[in-house]
Amino acid sequence: MNLRMIGCNFRTAPVEIREQLAFSDDRIDRALDELVARYDCEAVILNTCNRVELYLARPVVEQPLDADLLAEFLSEFHQLPAATIRPHLVELADADAVRHVFRVAASLDSMIVGEGQIAAQVKRAYERAHQRSASGPLLHAVFQHAFATAKRVRSDTGISRGHASVSSVAVDYVKEVFTRFDDKTVLVIGAGKMGTLTLRHLKNLRPQRITVTNRSPDKAETMAAECNGTAIPWANLDAALVQADIVLSTTGSPEPIVTLARWSNVLAKRAAGAVVILDIAVPRDFDPRIHDGDRTCLFNIDDLKRIQQQTLADRKKHIAPAEAIIEHEQAKFMKDWARRRNGPIIARLTQDVDQKRQEIVLPLLAKLNGRLTEEDKRHLEKAFHLFQSRILHGPITALDEAAHEGQGQTLLEALRKLFHLQELKEE
Amino acid sequence: MFLQGISQLCFGASYVVALGLELTRTVWPRTWPRWLGLAFGTVGLFAHTLYLLFRAPSVATPWGSLLLLSWVLAIFYLYGAFHHRKLAWAIFVLPIVLILIGLSVVFPQSPDQSFSNWFTGSNFWAMVHGGLLLLAAIGVCVGCAVSVMYLVQARRLRTKSNPGQGLKLMSLERLAEMNRRAIVWAFPLLSAGLLVGIALQLQEEHGQTVWFSWRYLGTAGLWLAFLLLLYMRFAAQASNRRLAILTIAVFILLLGTLVTSHPLPAGGSP
Repeated sequence: MNLRMIGCNFRTAPVEIREQLAFSDDRIDRALDELVARYDCEAVILNTCNRVELYLARPVVEQPLDADLLAEFLSEFHQLPAATIRPHLVELADADAVRHVFRVAASLDSMIVGEGQIAAQVKRAYERAHQRSASGPLLHAVFQHAFATAKRVRSDTGISRGHASVSSVAVDYVKEVFTRFDDKTVLVIGAGKMGTLTLRHLKNLRPQRITVTNRSPDKAETMAAECNGTAIPWANLDAALVQADIVLSTTGSPEPIVTLARWSNVLAKRAAGAVVILDIAVPRDFDPRIHDGDRTCLFNIDDLKRIQQQTLADRKKHIAPAEAIIEHEQAKFMKDWARRRNGPIIARLTQDVDQKRQEIVLPLLAKLNGRLTEEDKRHLEKAFHLFQSRILHGPITALDEAAHEGQGQTLLEALRKLFHLQELKEE
Repeated sequence: MFLQGISQLCFGASYVVALGLELTRTVWPRTWPRWLGLAFGTVGLFAHTLYLLFRAPSVATPWGSLLLLSWVLAIFYLYGAFHHRKLAWAIFVLPIVLILIGLSVVFPQSPDQSFSNWFTGSNFWAMVHGGLLLLAAIGVCVGCAVSVMYLVQARRLRTKSNPGQGLKLMSLERLAEMNRRAIVWAFPLLSAGLLVGIALQLQEEHGQTVWFSWRYLGTAGLWLAFLLLLYMRFAAQASNRRLAILTIAVFILLLGTLVTSHPLPAGGSP
């Protein structure tokens, strides 16, 4: 195996460096083409906001690529001094590179462990390289195994369970109450910045209508324009609450704007359906006593943050089982790859020795013809066969073990010379 | 011979194992218990189907109607388990299936029949009556399963449990909608079934019926409870939680009616 991962991530490089090393979408293809042409290698570029990693594979007989060479490439490509780049580059080889890509795809190497985006990003990176004909048999095998491993980690552990951002948790709660959103009205109260991200998530649910109200009509208009909603006067808040299915409240009011009594009046006018209130204002806008988990589901910022912390803490418990899966899959991949690579050599070796055995056994049997019973002949043939197996067992096992440890190349060469298998030069 | 060897214990045990495996998944999230559970559920349903085909139990007997009802719900369980693979569907539907199978064991088995006898002669209207009640009972059972799910989901929301942990359930909106549909479909079927039953009773006994027996009181109570449920849903705008509780009460009443005062005696005629 001649695989290298060379790149930087949020642990090894500050964001300023990562920004400079990032490949913009329109330049990735050119980078892939250049890597393939310049180094005669397979290449995949994984480019996310937290990492820029180059996975490179070359034929075994060729010199491995290293971080110095890649620093030069990146320096030329991004017009940066190589000395600025080199200290931030990490280089991983063979088994370590395989383990790394498995960990990355399974989201164990992410800033927020278990986040769901990275698997899709890795997949996109591989597909891009594949479309560009930059990937070959080794990277294909590595990435396919990485996707399967990531899937296994997600399904067999709770590493990706739940959401780890406040706005995602808020949307999770909304989805616990509602299934369809094309008939729902979202009411946004206030124009606090904290609500912007949550509103973006809510907008992705494609509600029928978004209404915005604010003490300042101008702010309401601005917010409504940003989210394709309708601004309504602050005086109509109660009427809007009667109509709303999802309420997002983010005002800066020092006092609760909806008290228990006010909500009781609103509730009396509402239809039978439930309402979800996401009160992410500090201080809170809604009296917490209105929450009943049936008609009124109120979640404030503390509730959402508590769930976020719980999810992150829970994910930590699943890191060890996930790492165990990665180790197992990495070992399996290395073994499979070694078998795949050594298979033809071992087959040829066995065939060669088989032929030599026959060359000895057949004349011997002919010479002894008449003096041996059929059973004697069988015993003789069996003994030679056993001898052959015992002779070959040592080299084949050693080859397997060496390949598994990433040191099979020297042994392969030795086997070729020892058994005259020169014609089977590895491509 | 093979078919004769299938008993209620065979498919009941398969469903128990399927339920056990589903429960295992709540604390040990793995893929294989789900597939193994589905395999046991499928095998159970297969045995259940063979048992019904071989015995052809009459819907006009408590034993038969309970077995047929549990069979329809077992199909409902498998459909839901395959369709909603992330939801804790089996945990709520399989216990009802098992309760019905368990109750069927209590009743004496009617002699084996063939399906061709179902709709012949005097059996015809008795089968129509039993069939309508069976369909209504399916609606009640489905309503009960989704009502329990609703209450669990509402409790999770009331206590503000982590939505990413614990049992995965449908949204409150979906569960309330399923409950509403089950009840709205079941009520006319129950009413029609009861009307056929009353007509049969009047015809058979020539007006000599004792209307105050447990059988009639239980059935009338069930019908009134249904009526109350519909009134609360459509006229009184009751909360979904109350409707869920009342649906569960109707289910218990249905079981009570089936067990203590099935409208038709074991012979198959009214």
